[in-house]
Amino acid sequence: MQKKSWKFGTREVVYSAIGAALYAVLSLATNWIQLPSAGNVSFRPAIVIPLFFGVVFGPIVGFIAGFLGNIISDLIAGYGLWFWWDLGNGIIGLVPGLIAVWMTTYKATKDIVWAEVFSVIGVLVGMGVASVSEMWVSGADINTVIFANFIPAIVPDLINGLILLPILLIAYAAIVKRSGR
Amino acid sequence: MLVTWRYRLRNGLMEKFDPRARWIFSLAFLFAVTMFWDARFLLFFFIIAFAWYFSSRAKWKETRRGWYLIGFILFMMIVINTIITGGGAGGVVPPGGHLVWPQGGTFPLFDWHFHFGLTWERLWFAICQVLRIGGISAIFLIIPYTMDPRVYGVTFRGLGLPDRFAYSMELAFRYVPTLARDFGTTLDAQRARGYEIERVKGGIVKQIIRIAPLIVPVTMNSILTGEDVTNAMDLRCFGTRPRTWLNKLTFHWQDYALIGFSIFMLVGAVIAIYGFHIGNFWVPYFWLKLAE
Amino acid sequence: MNESPLTIENLTFQYHRRFEPAIENITFSLQAGQVMLIAGSSGCGKTTLMRCINGLIPHTYQGAMSGSICLFGKSVTGMGLADISQTVGTLLQDPERQILGSYVLNEVAFGLESLGIPRDEITPRVEKALDRLGILHLRDRETFGTSGGEKQKIALAGVLAMEPKILLLDEPLASLDPASAQEALQAFRQLADEGIAVMIVEHRVEDVLSIHPDVFMYLDEGKMVYLGDTDGLMDVVDYRRIKLPARVVLERARQDPAPVFVPAAKSHSGEDAELLRFEGVHFQYNENDPEVLKGLNFSVNAGDVIAILGHNGSGKTTMVKHALGLLKPTKGRVLLEGHETRKMTVAQAAHTVGYVFQSPSQMLFAATVHEELSFGPKNLGFPVDTIDKNVNWAIDTVNLKSEMDMPPLALSFGQQKRISIAAILAMRSRILMMDEPTAGQDYWNYQAFMDAILQMPGFDAVIFITHDVDLAVIYANRILLVYSGEIVADGKPQEVLKDEKLLRSCRVLPTSLLKLNMEYLPRTGRFFRAETLAHIQS
Repeated sequence: MQKKSWKFGTREVVYSAIGAALYAVLSLATNWIQLPSAGNVSFRPAIVIPLFFGVVFGPIVGFIAGFLGNIISDLIAGYGLWFWWDLGNGIIGLVPGLIAVWMTTYKATKDIVWAEVFSVIGVLVGMGVASVSEMWVSGADINTVIFANFIPAIVPDLINGLILLPILLIAYAAIVKRSGR
Repeated sequence: MLVTWRYRLRNGLMEKFDPRARWIFSLAFLFAVTMFWDARFLLFFFIIAFAWYFSSRAKWKETRRGWYLIGFILFMMIVINTIITGGGAGGVVPPGGHLVWPQGGTFPLFDWHFHFGLTWERLWFAICQVLRIGGISAIFLIIPYTMDPRVYGVTFRGLGLPDRFAYSMELAFRYVPTLARDFGTTLDAQRARGYEIERVKGGIVKQIIRIAPLIVPVTMNSILTGEDVTNAMDLRCFGTRPRTWLNKLTFHWQDYALIGFSIFMLVGAVIAIYGFHIGNFWVPYFWLKLAE
Repeated sequence: MNESPLTIENLTFQYHRRFEPAIENITFSLQAGQVMLIAGSSGCGKTTLMRCINGLIPHTYQGAMSGSICLFGKSVTGMGLADISQTVGTLLQDPERQILGSYVLNEVAFGLESLGIPRDEITPRVEKALDRLGILHLRDRETFGTSGGEKQKIALAGVLAMEPKILLLDEPLASLDPASAQEALQAFRQLADEGIAVMIVEHRVEDVLSIHPDVFMYLDEGKMVYLGDTDGLMDVVDYRRIKLPARVVLERARQDPAPVFVPAAKSHSGEDAELLRFEGVHFQYNENDPEVLKGLNFSVNAGDVIAILGHNGSGKTTMVKHALGLLKPTKGRVLLEGHETRKMTVAQAAHTVGYVFQSPSQMLFAATVHEELSFGPKNLGFPVDTIDKNVNWAIDTVNLKSEMDMPPLALSFGQQKRISIAAILAMRSRILMMDEPTAGQDYWNYQAFMDAILQMPGFDAVIFITHDVDLAVIYANRILLVYSGEIVADGKPQEVLKDEKLLRSCRVLPTSLLKLNMEYLPRTGRFFRAETLAHIQS
């Protein structure tokens, strides 16, 4: 079937919703599991969900999975609603979504490398936007924002995302064969 | 259970308002307050925010965790911004000013000489930050406790979002408990195979890879679920015509009043800042007196 | 209008990227008020046929279609999904997955909302649909917390609210216990009596017979093998592929050689005969919640093949989770080979108990079957050469050696199920415990599969949870009957299952195979499958 980047039909509505719910659930679940030695800062496997849903289902699905997923997990944790960080998480899913149409098998080296490259860009841009907005809201200066917001956000996102994304893509390549669409 | 919504009916004053009116108010507050650095204005917003917050009747016991997190982030940001980085505090505080330690100092242990650029002006700015972020936090922290997750879809539809996006939200909330339960099942199924997430040895990469037995089945299963959900929606005509939303939201007089107040707040802020040029960063005289 | 609701002529469909048609030359028509049953094993084309009728083909699934489908004399070609859906209502297999609303009211209203029907018309139609199925009291409940049977009725109400003239039901009994299944079937019959044409796709043929379907279709590899009444069906269908009433199987199996089945688990007595013991086990999830387990006492010994029977929500799964220490009793204790589960980790308990969860897709993750099977033994800390030996033995036992380097996620459901069993086998636990081992598989597959497991050496005991009474009749040598958190009966199948009143009070329904066995019992002394009974001299 022809893939279109910005299509938003029933299928996209569903996968946006499922991506968001999954991102929220995994964020909360892995906060629960306390990893003693690594320290929780670097353990954030859930970030792979918006990246993966973006790469597979396109930019809009990736965006909603990240944006809405972050909103929902904050709602459940009771942390309130932080629009600019939600937006940043949305961008993290949107940017890898831009290459969704070029994916072929999901497990070819070329596919995985491009997915990883766009994921890096997504994390940098998304967390960049969120951090910069902190300057506007909180009145922090650029150095503060880099050290207090940007770096602590991108380091775990990049480590977790880049390690887990290929694993999910390879698994997805296996189930795609079974679908009749 | 893994997930429980923070929302429950508390019969607070806040619940008398339509959720759409509450969103409009919250966003207007955010945009209004971020124009100001004048502590007198910020104090006004701070008081409004906490009046709003307390009208919800949420208990400290419930919200405590959220406040700890916000407190921690605020503390880090202010400490770094005020003391460690020597930047211009967002370009708000003019350069120069009254140094707190004009002579500099020496670390007792290492014998390093350091020069602190910290000024009394920037300390005052830190207080302004606390007022401003504290107010914003109060407004947005209270949302999960007061807004029924199942009306988000219709609320945002009412605020102008297209049907499909609004329904996506609705559906996401519907699948949260299902996916949480699926996660629990997968965790149990893998534990039955001797998997112990709490006992992971090795470096960070190895630890992250060890999450694959959980994350892969849950994700792939949810994708297979999605196929069925898509079919179920298509078979019930989703997206073929403009949607009726069964849950109806209606504005009452108090909602118009709240929206009116929100507009007044926002317009007033714009006029104050751009018309009268008041509300910018300002240090009270008594504070500078302390510096001398 | 005299046109029949559904007329299909020479329908053939082939999915794109497939090399053979999924269905070929299907021709039939369905009248208002009729119940039609379509039977066939996995991959026979049942699902494809339904998709052609409800419009998912060609609107969602692409491929080459020929022949014609007419609804009330009007060809569906050119009709949109919205038009078709108002005539054809479809209930998909898994109600849990297709429920879209958080509340019952919203779920049932979904289709009407999509059609943009005015708000004040929706609520009465929703209430009418709920009332029709006798579940109006659920109106304001949250969908997540309802039971399996309720979920199905809610989903069905959602379809009925759109007032379809034709109702397609895709394996509607798959997730229901026998009592709920009977209730659901009665509801389907009632809808047909009200004038809806009902088409049921189901391989639990025997259950559907109780509502006397008017037309039968038997599909095999995409072709229509039989179309006609009940009696004719009994002669053409392969009784090994489709589950027929025991008496029919008995007659037909006489001509075939007797099946050979030698269970492997051998009972032995001695010091280590007792593997697992429950001592006054009580359990509740929260202090304020009602107790799920109310004082269970029993033990499992080497040689036991235990079927745990009970209705949905009776506490069966909670009970077996205690055996592995996934849950710890709030009162009482569970002992595994003499050690209390409270003092051991789940990983330690896994040496004794291997627990296969119901759905394979909830546990398969690895890139190859080999890696998947090594996961358990690796976690238990086995040395490398032992792991290899175990993995090879396990894959041989489930007969999937050729798939060793395939990703498990790319295999068929039946194969995945066998891989999920092999993954537990490779840990060499002493007890094999399975939750609904036959769920989601057709009759042929699950028989072959249960035969294989119970004939494999390597376990001291086997426990399985099921609501399929026949599975217990054929395979178990001991039955635990569970009802709302208590063990109501524990003993040999012929002792526990003979009390029909007791069974019914526990929402377990006797089957034709059980009744047949009760007749033969004076001669046989124990229970057998119908094929074996056929060769017992009377």
